[in-house]
Amino acid sequence: MIRNLRKRAGSWNSCLFFSRCLWYTRKRMDIEAYGPSRGPAPSGIGIDPALGAAFKKNEKEMDALERIADKQRVLIVDDSEMNRAILADMLGNEYDILEAENGNEAVSMLQKHSTDISLVLLDIVMPEMDGFGVLTMMNRYHWIDDIPVIMISAERGSTHIERAFEMGITDFISRPFDALIVHRRVVNTILLYAKQKKLTALVAEQIYEKERRSSLMIDILSHIVEFRNGESGLHVRHVHTLTELLLKTLVQKTDRYHLSQTDISVISTASALHDVGKIAIPEEILNKPGRFTEEEFAIMKDHSKIGAEMLKDLPAYQDEPLMKAAYEICRWHHERWDGRGYPDGLKGDEIPISAQMVALADVYDALTSERVYKPAFTHEQAVDMILRGECGEFNPLVLECLRDSAPAIPEELSHDDGLRQSHREMQNIARELHKHEELTASERTLELLEHERMKYSFFASLTEEIQFEYTVTPPSLVLSTWGSEKLGLPETLMDPYQDVQAQAIIGATEQAELADALHSTTPGNPVVQYECKLRVNGEERWHQIIARASWSSEEPPRYTGCIGKALDIHCSRLQLENLERQASHDALTGLLNHAYAKKRIIERLEDRPESDYALAILDLDYFKSANDTYGHMFGDQVLKFIAERMRRSIRGGDIAARVGGDEFLIFLEYKGDLEPIIDGIYGRLAGGSYEEFAISVSMGVAAAASVGLDYDALFRCADQALYVVKNNGKGHYSYYRKEAVPMDEVISAVSPIDGESAASQTR
Amino acid sequence: MTLKECYAAMGGDYDEVMGRLRSERLVQKFVLKFPGDGSFDLLRRSLESGDRGEAFRAAHTIKGVCANLAFGPLLASSERLTEALRDGAPPQPGEEELIGQVEEDYRRVIQAIQAFQEGAAG
Repeated sequence: MIRNLRKRAGSWNSCLFFSRCLWYTRKRMDIEAYGPSRGPAPSGIGIDPALGAAFKKNEKEMDALERIADKQRVLIVDDSEMNRAILADMLGNEYDILEAENGNEAVSMLQKHSTDISLVLLDIVMPEMDGFGVLTMMNRYHWIDDIPVIMISAERGSTHIERAFEMGITDFISRPFDALIVHRRVVNTILLYAKQKKLTALVAEQIYEKERRSSLMIDILSHIVEFRNGESGLHVRHVHTLTELLLKTLVQKTDRYHLSQTDISVISTASALHDVGKIAIPEEILNKPGRFTEEEFAIMKDHSKIGAEMLKDLPAYQDEPLMKAAYEICRWHHERWDGRGYPDGLKGDEIPISAQMVALADVYDALTSERVYKPAFTHEQAVDMILRGECGEFNPLVLECLRDSAPAIPEELSHDDGLRQSHREMQNIARELHKHEELTASERTLELLEHERMKYSFFASLTEEIQFEYTVTPPSLVLSTWGSEKLGLPETLMDPYQDVQAQAIIGATEQAELADALHSTTPGNPVVQYECKLRVNGEERWHQIIARASWSSEEPPRYTGCIGKALDIHCSRLQLENLERQASHDALTGLLNHAYAKKRIIERLEDRPESDYALAILDLDYFKSANDTYGHMFGDQVLKFIAERMRRSIRGGDIAARVGGDEFLIFLEYKGDLEPIIDGIYGRLAGGSYEEFAISVSMGVAAAASVGLDYDALFRCADQALYVVKNNGKGHYSYYRKEAVPMDEVISAVSPIDGESAASQTR
Repeated sequence: MTLKECYAAMGGDYDEVMGRLRSERLVQKFVLKFPGDGSFDLLRRSLESGDRGEAFRAAHTIKGVCANLAFGPLLASSERLTEALRDGAPPQPGEEELIGQVEEDYRRVIQAIQAFQEGAAG
């Protein structure tokens, strides 16, 4: 049942499942604390309906679930209407009563309502099919495993009763009824079964996962203890590893304890539960930094007994070796060889070898770890202290094992530290559960969630989008089927921040930026748009990620994850880039256009005002005649030619642009002497010819050193220098000098059409 | 006539039934239902038709109801009849008398209940 549940709903509801187990643990404590007989059950206790009932598929069943959340359903099977009425009256309004007047009817009702029924009150002697017939069917379909049956009959023959018990009934009530007894037994049985169902689920989980003995369940339970305990989270793992190591050493020394490899693995796994009883110890005591008072210590010491009792109360699987070992370990891991331990003061080999080994491992790890009340001792110190008997007396043979395996211990434990990574997920769950123990979702809620999930995955399968859902706890990323195929990732990715495959798709910076953006949203405004490159099938493509952060409803709200999708915007992004390029570049020559160059130059001047800069404006001499003689097409070719020369002439970091017509500019940042740089550039630009057209260039240069760090001034002055060149025979370059142009004669060489005109007009 | 007097009239044990069911309202409700229960008719018919299996179940049901309602004499006779009919056993000597006894005890119960009903109504 539990397996289905987990399969269907994915990882998040294993979380809920664990929380239910935890809920149970607490409740059970309550029940124990108050004693079993405090009158009718408070309505909360028995509510949790059969886990199996949670996943029915239609609305009718949803209604049933709703009703069940209010009342347990009891099926009364008796051929006498009188008797049914009496029983129904006795149970009163607390239960939802179904009636069947013979075995056939009972079976068809069981078929129809299956695990919605919390209890069957069953008569033996009936027409059509008698009570034993019903029990036979209930066994055949395994209903008896989930639904308790109380047999009611005037039959007093012990063979009848015996046979009924053999067929799995839970209780037997003989007529005449006593109203109180009937009521009480019904209540008890339903409670017991509710408990048992949860426990069965809890234990079944472990049994099913037998091959992975260190099951998540045990780890989580024990880690919950540790978080309450303020311990590192590695304690359980260390105890596991040490126990295993010590036991392996032991079997090489002696076969006194008849331990097989399986026994060793079972004991090591069970060791994880050694402190499970601490769940019941008040947190203030558990984490008290100072010394315990005598009273507190007594309470603390109870944890071994409580843990053992918890395990013993598991109704099923008592014969499982794992349970047996866990019981021994829980109860006796504080016993000592000389009888001075607790709770039972066992001596010598009265203490099971499992508990002896775990006791030693526990002590060793406690010594080598830092605790609120003590610093960490080194490995050598810890071994010495134990061998010297400072932590109580141990079996000499066990101590010998410690001595022999001591050199290997640090190495073995360091593996555990390495495993820390892989346990992050589980620790997160445990930590979160510890914080939110009250988190219980009714089965109906689960059902609704399941429905939503189904809806979501259906729609997701219809669209070709990368859709995703990220949850913080446990950290997991769920991708739509299409998305997972597209990205080549599994549909569910645990701990995606640590996942190599995920890292390959989105860069760390982008990941962090996106996470930042989501964390900075508010419940009122939770949507984020973010553009970045994702590596899809080895190709980097631009994607737009639209995501909605989920915030919990508590105060203050907690960020719990996000949902969203990633759209491939590579093509439109390229178009955009193209447009941007078009806007910033000159279409003919591919150089920057004037406006964009100006922007860049201003940015540069502002960014690094300490540098030296120069601006050169150049102009093709006699360009107008090239246009006139060879046509505009040819003119364009010449412009392209000169642009290409410019590109080759300038140095990296210089800015070359077409100002307009046949005028260009070059902006340079330089150190030291400007002259050789300008000379070099001019030398590469001028001279030679394009086809028949001789390339002659005039150029004016202005240095920021003489005109200031101002673009307009640079441009104006370079322009004036160019003007002077044009007026002095062209075909050379010149620097701007203040005295070269009278201040009142503000003139420009740059003309809207070509460089010739301004100069030629003055001629 | 009170419910207690009704029980006295049929030879039932009022204190016993009150001890178990704990509510006079409940007891009265079931007592008044008893005459309408079809088990006795079924017993008579199945005995007449010779269906001893059905007769056994009917007798058994009567016995159960009587036990619950503490109808002492009818409980005793119906219990003996139930055993006589168990597992389709063939008729034994004295069965006729036993059936007669059950009928008589049944009539006595019904009369007492009717008297109670009239008394309660009047």
